[in-house]
Amino acid sequence: MTSLLAQIDSLGRFVTKNVEYTVRVFLMVYLSLRAAVLDKAQGFRQIVGVLSAQIYFTGWQALPLISVLALGVGSVMILQSLSNLTLLGGTQMIGSFLIVMILREAGPLLVALVVIARSGTAVASEIGNMRANREIEALESMGINPLSFIVFPRVVGGVLSVLGLAFYFNAIALIGGFLVTRFFQDMSLTFYTDSLMKAFAKEDVLIFFLKNGFSGMIIFVVSCYQGLSVKRSPHEVPQVTTQAVVNSIIFVVIFNLMVSALFYLNQLRSLGVV
Amino acid sequence: MKIESLKFEGVTFTHEGQDPIVQNVEFDFPMNEILWVKAEEGAGKSSLLQILAGLQIPQSGKYLINGENVCDMSFEEFLPYRLQIGYSFDYGGLINNRSLFDNLMLPLLYHKVISPEEAKARVEGLLKEFGAEKFAHDRPAHVPGRIRKLTCLLRALVMRPQILLLDDPSVGLGQDSIYAFVDHVHRLRKEGHCKHVFISSYDEKFMNLFEYQIIHLDEGQLYFQAVDPEKRVVHL
Repeated sequence: MTSLLAQIDSLGRFVTKNVEYTVRVFLMVYLSLRAAVLDKAQGFRQIVGVLSAQIYFTGWQALPLISVLALGVGSVMILQSLSNLTLLGGTQMIGSFLIVMILREAGPLLVALVVIARSGTAVASEIGNMRANREIEALESMGINPLSFIVFPRVVGGVLSVLGLAFYFNAIALIGGFLVTRFFQDMSLTFYTDSLMKAFAKEDVLIFFLKNGFSGMIIFVVSCYQGLSVKRSPHEVPQVTTQAVVNSIIFVVIFNLMVSALFYLNQLRSLGVV
Repeated sequence: MKIESLKFEGVTFTHEGQDPIVQNVEFDFPMNEILWVKAEEGAGKSSLLQILAGLQIPQSGKYLINGENVCDMSFEEFLPYRLQIGYSFDYGGLINNRSLFDNLMLPLLYHKVISPEEAKARVEGLLKEFGAEKFAHDRPAHVPGRIRKLTCLLRALVMRPQILLLDDPSVGLGQDSIYAFVDHVHRLRKEGHCKHVFISSYDEKFMNLFEYQIIHLDEGQLYFQAVDPEKRVVHL
């Protein structure tokens, strides 16, 4: 009996803790948006400066890594799908297969993982160190709202960067991957592009913006929140950075899974299966 | 906006799990004075200055500036007062990814109090006056500790505030910088800025460069001690 009560108690604590975490994160997003809107009469140019720096670090500097990853993933997927679809006699399905695998599934997830590894950690540790070094208090003492000066440009810059990187990833994976596979497979460019264009639907645009936009938002909001959660001491910085990575991965994966599940359920519904 | 009164009404402030810094304090801060905040080590002088700067919010009571309760104000509502308060940390506080010059320019450019050209001239003038111009474009991590401390103090002055809150200002400063800083504060006061100065310090030699009054923070209460400048014991 005691054990059951303890388990219920533990479950209750877990749920309360996560609900509280989510509420706090949403509150931070609301306050940073509000502060940025109210701040526009003041340091908007300074905020734009921080935003462009964030796009440079998160978007521009990640391009080499994303290029290699996209080329590798694109080539492997095209090669594998070609060899398997040829065996099944469905080579014309290659466009549908690649759109589903790269644009809808692998692209958003891999780009998010790269951004978490490169920029989520950087943002969490940078803000954590700012907190420990009293830079956040210093900004407040100067009348600069840390939520509009630190959080808002990082989240907006992060979302724009993730969208840009995801577009770049898809382009390199689909076009670059094709060029690489031409060394191994004989497939005409016209056939390949026709197949892709036939498979591409307007829902893909929605999924692209939904998955990548929200992944970017999740990563940078969670990283900023974890960074700001440092109290005083620098020894907390590695802990919050790890927590930022763990939470970002969990939330991004769950979100991607939910979008995919809802999309396919909707597809099945429109086909009359469910 | 002219700051005419600072008052605590029943103010209580405690750091989590610690004894109260101030407990149910009723105190009318003397204005137009240089106030030396004295207390035992760890009694909460820095926290008191942070409450006065609006960086810490008391758990109960009212902190009134010109009769308005700061505790009820949003960040934006408090902003006009905050721009009249210069605060210098005892350590840290400089923005590490900006040069010393940019650190000093930031509040001036952010709040557009003066034109960028005037801001540049003011900051360059300050750095030159304190002999720190050769470090102007270095980041805080690349300059000696005394220059970091000096920059933190100058940033509190750069907006020419009415209230100046200095937390252990002399620690880590060179002797020349101390004299230059004190001269600068005196000059600003003559020009009508930095009217209300609060200094937390253990450095009597430094404090004797000012004509101060004393506020004691003792066991969660504030006490004012008037000091007759003629009768001060000056150790130089």
